[in-house]
Amino acid sequence: MIDRARIVLPRALREELIAHARESAPQECCGLLLGDGEAVRRVMRCRNVHPAPETRYIIDKAQLFEAFRASADFDRELVAIYHSHPRSPAYPSPTDRAEALWPLAGYVLVSLRADTPEVFAYRVADDAVREIPISEG
Amino acid sequence: MPVTVRLPGALREATGGETKLSASGATLREIIADIDRRHPGFASRVLDDAGVLRTYVNVYIGEEDARSHGGASAKVPDGSEVMIIPAMAGG
Repeated sequence: MIDRARIVLPRALREELIAHARESAPQECCGLLLGDGEAVRRVMRCRNVHPAPETRYIIDKAQLFEAFRASADFDRELVAIYHSHPRSPAYPSPTDRAEALWPLAGYVLVSLRADTPEVFAYRVADDAVREIPISEG
Repeated sequence: MPVTVRLPGALREATGGETKLSASGATLREIIADIDRRHPGFASRVLDDAGVLRTYVNVYIGEEDARSHGGASAKVPDGSEVMIIPAMAGG
């Protein structure tokens, strides 16, 4: 079983997350961080199809299906799920905790509330949140 | 001929750690019931009390979204691959 104690996120991919968040604001962006185990190799931008995208997100199920179907080991390849908080901290909201259905994946949040964007990662399971460190490599 | 059911580790607790199972049944509901016989409680992770697919669970039969084909009543052809994928959502 994969137990991600940290996430390795190269600087260029961290910048890609922030760019996606900025382009999507004031709506929340969302997507997948794909790679191997703890190491992120690519960012898969996804469509936020929630009807209230300024405060909520749902990843387009068709994109999720394609990513799952194409992977021989999705649990290993899915390093984290990311989304943005345009106006609130980079910490899982009550809704994030209630709707977290992927306990093996990391949850990466990008906050744009300050001039300098914040990016943090967590494990979220059974309504419990545990921050996990992000390193550049 | 049984069908193959693939699901992510997110649901492994409901299947004793298995993420690829063989199951029998002519409809999605029968497939789920077959797995539930071996792994009691599995059905409640996929279906609500009324027997309807849970909002935050997506099911595909081959390339088809089960919701577009009757939900739990969708027919499952022999030899199909069924994928059960929880939604990714939050706020």
